Amino acid sequence: MISIGFDDKERIGLRYVLDSLHPCSPFGQERVRKLRFYTPKERGALETELDNTDRAAASADVLKQVYDRIMTVLCQLKDIRGSLQRLRDGAVLDHVELFEIKGFLLRIADLRPLFDRMNEAAAIEELSFSDPEDALNVLDPEQTRSRGFYIPDSASEALRAIRAEKKRLEARLYEAPEAEKDAIRAERTRVCAEEETEERAIRAGMCKALLPFVPAMLADADAAGRLDFLIQKALFAVRYHCVRPAITETALELTGMINPELCDLLQEKGRAFVPVSIATDRGATVITGANMGGKSVAMKTVALNVLLFSAGFPVCAKRAKLPMFESVQMLFDDAQSMQSGLSGFGSEIVRFNEALNEVEKGYSLFLLDEFARGTNPDEGAAIVQAVTRCLNDANAISILATHYDGVAEFARVHYQIIGLRDIDPDAIRSELSVSGGDGVAVIARHMNYGLYRVEGKADCPKDALNICRMLSLKPEILERVEQAYKQ
Amino acid sequence: MQAVFKDLTADVRTLSIVGMCKNAGKTTVLNRLLAESRGRVLGLTSIGRDGESTDIVTGTEKPGIYVSEGTLIATAKDMLDLSDITREIVHTTGIPTPLGEVIVVRAKSAGNVQLAGPSITSQLKGLSDLFFSLGAEQTIIDGALGRKSLGARAVADGVILCTGASYDMRMEKVVADTASIFRIMNLKKAEFVPAESDRPLNEVLREHGEALVPGALTDAAVVPLLKSGALKNARLVVKDPSKVLLSPDTLDKLAIRKVSLETVEAAKALCVTVNPVSAYGWKFDPDAFRRAMAAAVNVPVINVKEAAE
Repeated sequence: MISIGFDDKERIGLRYVLDSLHPCSPFGQERVRKLRFYTPKERGALETELDNTDRAAASADVLKQVYDRIMTVLCQLKDIRGSLQRLRDGAVLDHVELFEIKGFLLRIADLRPLFDRMNEAAAIEELSFSDPEDALNVLDPEQTRSRGFYIPDSASEALRAIRAEKKRLEARLYEAPEAEKDAIRAERTRVCAEEETEERAIRAGMCKALLPFVPAMLADADAAGRLDFLIQKALFAVRYHCVRPAITETALELTGMINPELCDLLQEKGRAFVPVSIATDRGATVITGANMGGKSVAMKTVALNVLLFSAGFPVCAKRAKLPMFESVQMLFDDAQSMQSGLSGFGSEIVRFNEALNEVEKGYSLFLLDEFARGTNPDEGAAIVQAVTRCLNDANAISILATHYDGVAEFARVHYQIIGLRDIDPDAIRSELSVSGGDGVAVIARHMNYGLYRVEGKADCPKDALNICRMLSLKPEILERVEQAYKQ
Repeated sequence: MQAVFKDLTADVRTLSIVGMCKNAGKTTVLNRLLAESRGRVLGLTSIGRDGESTDIVTGTEKPGIYVSEGTLIATAKDMLDLSDITREIVHTTGIPTPLGEVIVVRAKSAGNVQLAGPSITSQLKGLSDLFFSLGAEQTIIDGALGRKSLGARAVADGVILCTGASYDMRMEKVVADTASIFRIMNLKKAEFVPAESDRPLNEVLREHGEALVPGALTDAAVVPLLKSGALKNARLVVKDPSKVLLSPDTLDKLAIRKVSLETVEAAKALCVTVNPVSAYGWKFDPDAFRRAMAAAVNVPVINVKEAAE
């Protein structure tokens, strides 16, 4: 089963996506908070969820008002599951709990015609609400359908008599001379106690009568959560032009995908996210590129979109074909590995072993960002080469980002960051001489973070040399670097 | 029943009853007002917890709160269980208190209630709006004590200030301190609010002759201004009366220099009630107390003991 830690959610931008959703009901909020991923065994359920989301998104425009009204009703739903459990345990619920259950049923009644209208346009499958009328009649025997909860005098003959007496005493209390009031108050207290006892008996009867409706109410609470989540997914899909992925057996193909968090961040700075495309299958895929070249961004964007899909979201891409994974493992380089007490490299190996154990349990996605970065280049390259060869045979799609030379040739597929490939260094140099300013920022702006597939054997691009040229490294040093490259 | 408070509070939408101390007679005033308003739909709540039959602080017997049929009440769930009204649950607010969620209930019969409302002013404001949407003609808030009651103006547009012998053994002190709170509570409402400024107060005052005080107004800030002459004929505006932390002496000096102290949030103190009997054994002469208090404020002063009958 896929399980993603808090830090990884944050790192790949999944937290950002989840925070951008605004589920209205406690049940929808719970679905987002405890995000669950579909396992390969639940393929049918995932297909249904993706179809539902796709149709809900396609109709978002015509259904805008319906969605707004559904969300308003969902916002008013309270979590009554605790009271329903108490009901099952044989407790006599108090006035406030019965009020909340009545409120819940009234809102389900409000929701049903709205959901029907949504269904006409979007044909939502395997989601329905039961008719709450019979349950409502228990709590509202006079069928006033008022929002409040009140045990009417008509609930029992005894109650009617007690309340009449209470009223009579109250009227007397208002008019009687001060000297008689204490006696009336004492009498009134006795009547209030009788009323309390009789009301409790009536509430007990209501609870017993409600018992058969508990399963339906629990199912409706669940359905409300699913509907809530579904609408939020649909609105997300519209916001980021998402697409419903086709489900494959093993192959992964994401064309023109984006990462909403980075996309929005860049947009604030007046820049645009370069969409990333990747197509691969079982075995090891290596992504190479210069250090400032965005290999991590590509990896995180793959991870994010695979996880969104596994949670029943459409994905942020132009086209997508994805397999279902038993697990998703991510080894991203970060400062936290230092805190475990081992050296950075040592803890990386420990984490790799743990991840590999998980990967062996079923078809997985395994992402390694700059594995063995913390050791010397010769050893590091040897280790990553060996890992790549091993992952070629694992039952997983493994993607490794590395800047070590000589790794790519062992991989099934090799991608490279476009980087500065299509940039004329002289043009940048002249731009820098005109504008002065921050050379690094200028280069970052021209950097193309897209990926291209490398066929045959190719080394890492020599972007470092280009960067040296653009930033006008001392000519005598630059000459020596160029000579070294030629050798 | 002869109306003592009803006419005084007739124009007020949201009324807060505040006290100088425990046993000042707040609950007596509230019960009187509830009885006088029989037949009108009132919304009733409190700031925090009040209405116990025994006063938690002094251990003395306290009168219960008796509402008539139709009253809307917002109180914590645990307190609802201690009420003997026939109840219709109307709304659950989601506002948490140590005694449970605040529930809005309609009294379907007269009866005794225990009040424990929210302690945050914005929540009180929301409740008051809710009462009106449910058909209340007036909202009454069993308010806070002492200096805290100055915050009442943010929610209520009218205030009844209750004071009594329980505040201090010396009648002069009770009168002087009550008058000081009354004065701050009844600051003039600013017709124009000066623009906010980061610059020192004395510069702003010298330049414009008026200033909006961003935070609290203290003796430490005001005394040097008085000495420097920057305040002469000036206008000082505070956000609400609770921001005024001045001693009676400094307040007097401001009045002498004709400094206009004003507030953005404004409510009206409608009357002052006095309770000549303390919870601790001593008593004041009822008439002398009432007269002394009446001389110190410009609103009616009512003896709660007389109002209770």
